[in-house]
Amino acid sequence: MSIRTSDAPAGGAPARTAAREPGVLRRTWIHRADYLYVLPAIVVMLIVIAYPVYYTIDLSFYSTPPSLQLRDKIFIGFDNYKTILESEVFWRVTLNTFIWTIVSTGCAYILGLGCALCLHQAFPGRAVMRAILIIPWVISAVAASYIWKWIYHSNFGVIGAILVELGIMDRQPNFIDNVNTVLASLIVVNVWREFPFAMIMLAAGLQTVPDQLLRAAKVDGAGAWHSFWHVTFPHLRGVSIATILLLAVANFNSFIVTWIMTGGGPSNASHIWITHIYEIAFGRQRWGIAAAYSVILFLIVMSLGYFYVRGLGGAEKEGGGS
Amino acid sequence: MTDAVTPRSRAGIDLWRWAGRIFLTVMLLFTLLPMVWMLLTSFKSGFAALQFPPQWWPKEPTLASYRKLLDPTNSVGADFLRFFWNSLFVSTMSTILSVIVAVPAAYAFSRFDFPGRKFLFFSVLLRNMFPAVVFLVPLFILMRLLGLMNTHGSLILTYLTFGLPLAIWLLKGFYDNIPYQLEQAARIDGASRFQAFLLIVMPLSVPGIIATAIYSFIGAWNEYIFAYTFINRNDRLTLPIGIQRFFSESSSDFPGLMAASFMMSVPVVVLFLMLQRYFVRALTEGAVKH
Amino acid sequence: MSQVHLGRAIRRGVSMASIAAALAVWGPASAQAPIDLSKWSPEYVRSIAGTQDYDTAADCAKVTPRDYRGRVTFWYQGAFEGDPDLLRQYYRDFFAEFRKTYPNIQLVDQALTYNDLLDKFRTALLGSAGPMVVRLQILGGVEFASKGYLQELKPEDIGLKTQDFWPGAMKSNMWKGKTYGIPTNNETMALIWNADLFKRAGLDPDKPPETWDDVVRYSKEIKEKTGAAGYGLVARKNAGNTPYRFMPQLWAYGGGVFDESAANPNYSQIQINTAASKRALQASYDMFVRDKSVPVSALTNQQADNQPLFLAGQLAMMISHPSDYDVMHDLRKKATGSDAQTAQAVIDNMRYGLIPKGPDGKRAVVFGGSNMHILKPEYVDGGKVDQPAAKALVCFWTSPEWSLKMAYAGSNPGNLNGFKTKWMKERLENIKFLDVTTSMLPYGIPFPTIPETPEIMNIIVPDMLQNALTGTMTVDQAAEDAAKKIQNVMRGNKL
Repeated sequence: MSIRTSDAPAGGAPARTAAREPGVLRRTWIHRADYLYVLPAIVVMLIVIAYPVYYTIDLSFYSTPPSLQLRDKIFIGFDNYKTILESEVFWRVTLNTFIWTIVSTGCAYILGLGCALCLHQAFPGRAVMRAILIIPWVISAVAASYIWKWIYHSNFGVIGAILVELGIMDRQPNFIDNVNTVLASLIVVNVWREFPFAMIMLAAGLQTVPDQLLRAAKVDGAGAWHSFWHVTFPHLRGVSIATILLLAVANFNSFIVTWIMTGGGPSNASHIWITHIYEIAFGRQRWGIAAAYSVILFLIVMSLGYFYVRGLGGAEKEGGGS
Repeated sequence: MTDAVTPRSRAGIDLWRWAGRIFLTVMLLFTLLPMVWMLLTSFKSGFAALQFPPQWWPKEPTLASYRKLLDPTNSVGADFLRFFWNSLFVSTMSTILSVIVAVPAAYAFSRFDFPGRKFLFFSVLLRNMFPAVVFLVPLFILMRLLGLMNTHGSLILTYLTFGLPLAIWLLKGFYDNIPYQLEQAARIDGASRFQAFLLIVMPLSVPGIIATAIYSFIGAWNEYIFAYTFINRNDRLTLPIGIQRFFSESSSDFPGLMAASFMMSVPVVVLFLMLQRYFVRALTEGAVKH
Repeated sequence: MSQVHLGRAIRRGVSMASIAAALAVWGPASAQAPIDLSKWSPEYVRSIAGTQDYDTAADCAKVTPRDYRGRVTFWYQGAFEGDPDLLRQYYRDFFAEFRKTYPNIQLVDQALTYNDLLDKFRTALLGSAGPMVVRLQILGGVEFASKGYLQELKPEDIGLKTQDFWPGAMKSNMWKGKTYGIPTNNETMALIWNADLFKRAGLDPDKPPETWDDVVRYSKEIKEKTGAAGYGLVARKNAGNTPYRFMPQLWAYGGGVFDESAANPNYSQIQINTAASKRALQASYDMFVRDKSVPVSALTNQQADNQPLFLAGQLAMMISHPSDYDVMHDLRKKATGSDAQTAQAVIDNMRYGLIPKGPDGKRAVVFGGSNMHILKPEYVDGGKVDQPAAKALVCFWTSPEWSLKMAYAGSNPGNLNGFKTKWMKERLENIKFLDVTTSMLPYGIPFPTIPETPEIMNIIVPDMLQNALTGTMTVDQAAEDAAKKIQNVMRGNKL
């Protein structure tokens, strides 16, 4: 069954009456029962977010030398921030992080869109193909990292073996032990894991493109590219924004693939913010610096978050408007 | 979808169709080959995996790695099966709880107009903006205060919050598209608002709930870093951490690792393939609908 | 096989318990001749092996009575799937034996992997959720002692004597003149090579490279003539394997992080950027970049990755424990068909030798191992430490018997009296290359005993190697960069 015609007002707010605008407290009281519905979610979120955020911000103003316990930390104001912004590695890692996020997100989106378009038409075996293409997204990132590490292995890796057997190379190439190729190699793994997500999202989006419009375009003699660009793609705008933002945030925060495959090496070439913070905190016991680093990272991602919230929240407004 | 093709543009369409087929083939290979290689390696013996050039097809295929992992009488098998069970328990529990928490919240965000609705909705969505690593130490301390250290409870509570933002967003989109009149009709018939929600809206949102559940389950099944930090007891480890045990200091067993990776992926893949149509439907009818 | 030995040992132990206890009253352990380290040699080790019997249960009963009722929690680096069966059997035996000896002590033991232990222990301490007793790698002890997490603990507290342990091992437990732990085992590694690959490369199959310069040369020749990798360089970050294999090279060339290879180091002068240190780094560079004679995957490899290479006949030389002999035997036992033959061939061609010298004849190896520590109650989960139970456990593991058995396959007993036991004699007969690693012991140099050591060894040194080997920096720059980072660490708060 499909419920296509939505008559609910914007934001589904039937209780809103324009006649009288009571005070906030009064409205809160009137709606007190409503809060019960969201209470569990809010409580869980508060537990898991509020204290850690406070803790991290507080800690970022302290020095935590290796010979002292964390509770004996020394207040140093903004020195940790200065240390981070002055270190060359930070900028190197920042560049890596942006390359990682932008390229991974972009490639996953484009490949996902391609697959969604190809699978949009009905043909025999379509369901099977879609099922196969989804698998990389579902399997464990830990498992995926080990599989690809084995595929890239400099001594026994299958890609290297194929290249050598075909005579393209005379010695096994070095994918993840090489500063120039390591990031690209990891991005391939990441895209492998993420494109199916884009595919599912966009496939769902494609189903909402009205057939009449496409048929009308065809009657007008529009080519495939033309009807895609002028009819289909504009309809995918909302879902595209949501997909890209979800992927970008996930990529900024992704840890497993890099950590398991290279640990950020060689020579920091595959470190991204997250793995670098982890190393500073757990590997080097610089809790204060790691906390300040986290705050910087949070501020940067928050600015992205502004668009994220607008993108996700936007669907709500657009939905009401149409 | 109908393929009504006018003769005029047949050549153009064919070109696109061929391009599509080639692209799809390439993508299928890209997706499948790593997994095929994983399977082939898992059927090799320890030494056979360590040859260069590799054995493209295992010369002496063996199920030894699988037998080792699934045999509860040896230590590896016993560990693997216990980790498997732990993962299953943690993932199932956090999935159930996240549905219980997300459904009413999404419904309220969709239907009610209490003050702070927008603010709370967005702050829930913001959870995803925080990188997990930042939270490790403070959450560890918090789990200790809550008495949850070294328990599956600590993982369930944490995983619950991963799935929630997307779950609430997805379900809210779903509820936005369920006509309010259906509820009104029920309430005229004498149902309370909660009853209307339970009897009318919930059943209609089953695809959304299933999608939410799949998403939570996959996230919990695959989570690594919190499990790594919170659990110190061997008998409570989950699979992603557990399979690292096959790589202790002294030796690398690639076929064993590949077999473990394969078996670790089976439950989520099967679950997803069984339920994927709900997932797509939930997205179509809920989140991405215009 | 070890099962049988153990059964016999227990029966004998039980029957002798009363005699030993009676003896202990009249002739305390201190009356025995101590080990003379100045005479240390394989012959000396052979001469003392099997000369003394110890009754662990009776000895520890003097520390904590056997009917003591209590509870102890314990974390240690456990034996896992990849470890030799023999070792895993001894670990099982140890806990069974302890529980039998102290039936009223509830022992909650938690095994962790080598790479997890430090991380987990640190995190646990932040949340005051540590175990009562922990067995840590030598690298970690001082860090935790300096932060005030550990109780003072010296051999005398559990009825042993400081002279029963290597001075170097005791040093790694000292912080500001006080002792915070007791060694369980001491490790020194050796060079292992594949005689067959040596022969095929036209080298003397039964002679190891004399100096590190020879290693570079051999590695190149082996690569050119056989196609196999020469030397098993490892340069992975965040893994203890890397410093364990690079520091011997650094010291041999006359370099060091500080003056740790001197007789009485004070760790005040950074030496990682001296000409000698740079020569050592240059040697690695030559093998990896110039000659391409080491495994391509060296930068992500740890020792566990070298083993399969060695087994597959694709690696000629590596630095490793004597346990590798056992590991290979285990793998051969598990192998089937043609694999079994390959494994046998590798074992037949396996040779052990001393670690090469530097250009000035200096030979050095990392003095490794682990120590037992007891935590202060405020950092323990539950806030209490059951002292007698904790001491009983420490006493058990550091006893001559168990410090030998738990190190059976891989290293040497921390308690020097372990060398006198009959199990040492048996071990000398069973493990072909044991002589070599015991001979390496006097060349052992402990890591700097300062709280900054884990960061220096696990992060800065591997970083330096990676920077030089990837060409991100020249050898010169990489060494200077490391010196700067070490200075920052020592000063406190810079990255």
